[in-house]
Amino acid sequence: MNEDRLNELARRLGADTAERLDVDATARKVVQRLREQPARRAIWIQQAWLRIAATVVILVGGAVALRQVRIGRDSAEHIPHFVADDLSDLSADELREVLTSFDEIVAGDSVVVPESGTDLNELDTQQLRALLRSPEG
Amino acid sequence: MAQPQPVPAPDSALIAAWQAGDEQAAAELVGRHARPLARFLAGAGAPEADVDDLVQETFIRAFRGVHRFRGHCQFRTWLLTIGGNVLKDFGRRAGRRKVMPLDEGVRDGRGDPHAHAEASEAEALLLAGLKQLPRLQREVFLLRAQQGLEYEEIAAALATTSGAARVHYHHAVRRLKEMVQDE
Repeated sequence: MNEDRLNELARRLGADTAERLDVDATARKVVQRLREQPARRAIWIQQAWLRIAATVVILVGGAVALRQVRIGRDSAEHIPHFVADDLSDLSADELREVLTSFDEIVAGDSVVVPESGTDLNELDTQQLRALLRSPEG
Repeated sequence: MAQPQPVPAPDSALIAAWQAGDEQAAAELVGRHARPLARFLAGAGAPEADVDDLVQETFIRAFRGVHRFRGHCQFRTWLLTIGGNVLKDFGRRAGRRKVMPLDEGVRDGRGDPHAHAEASEAEALLLAGLKQLPRLQREVFLLRAQQGLEYEEIAAALATTSGAARVHYHHAVRRLKEMVQDE
């Protein structure tokens, strides 16, 4: 089979199928489907925008809520809290215990060395309170 | 003296009219190009029973995406390439349903009793040969041999060069000759 014969056959391929096609009916169906599709597209666009809006609301709302929680936590952390407020109810022994652990924490390098050589056991309750209040200024 | 026939509006005018909302323009474009498209689809292996649906789907896709048509080739050529994609998707869906795999029943005229009754033996052989070609070779062959398009036009539609289109066509012809002679 030569190329011309192939081309001739190719030109005939599908000719009968094409002849049987009801072109007017096809055109009507296409136009009908095109009429329906913009509506579907509009609905799709509407839904897409709703989803986008909902996502934005959730993200912004979440961010605001998170910020509020952080601010709340930070401000709670920054409320001045004086140890002295808690000292009033403590006995002399409890105060000594607190002072000892306080000394351990600060390792004695910056604070509260009472009178040189003063033993904590020799201090009375008032003195211990005064000693504990002194780092707070 | 005969009245002069009105000059038909060019495709570009109809496309613009459709974009402006003129449904009649869309119907006119379908009327102009539906049959060549049906021939192309049938030649590329579409089962006759599905050709009408495939033609509709091709036009729907084309009209929906007409803003992407830049006039780099004729509207019909662009439409035929969309038809090739529609047929490919159809074959994929058919393959998933395992009803009629594209490369067996769909493309073989001899597998369709109705088509077999009507197609000549040589046409049936050509159809069977076409189904064995790679898609690009098959489409270039049909665009050239069946639709009579120039290589430049084919190349523009398929986003390739005219040289490459020519090579695809010659490979297709060589393989079709071998296949048809082997039968």
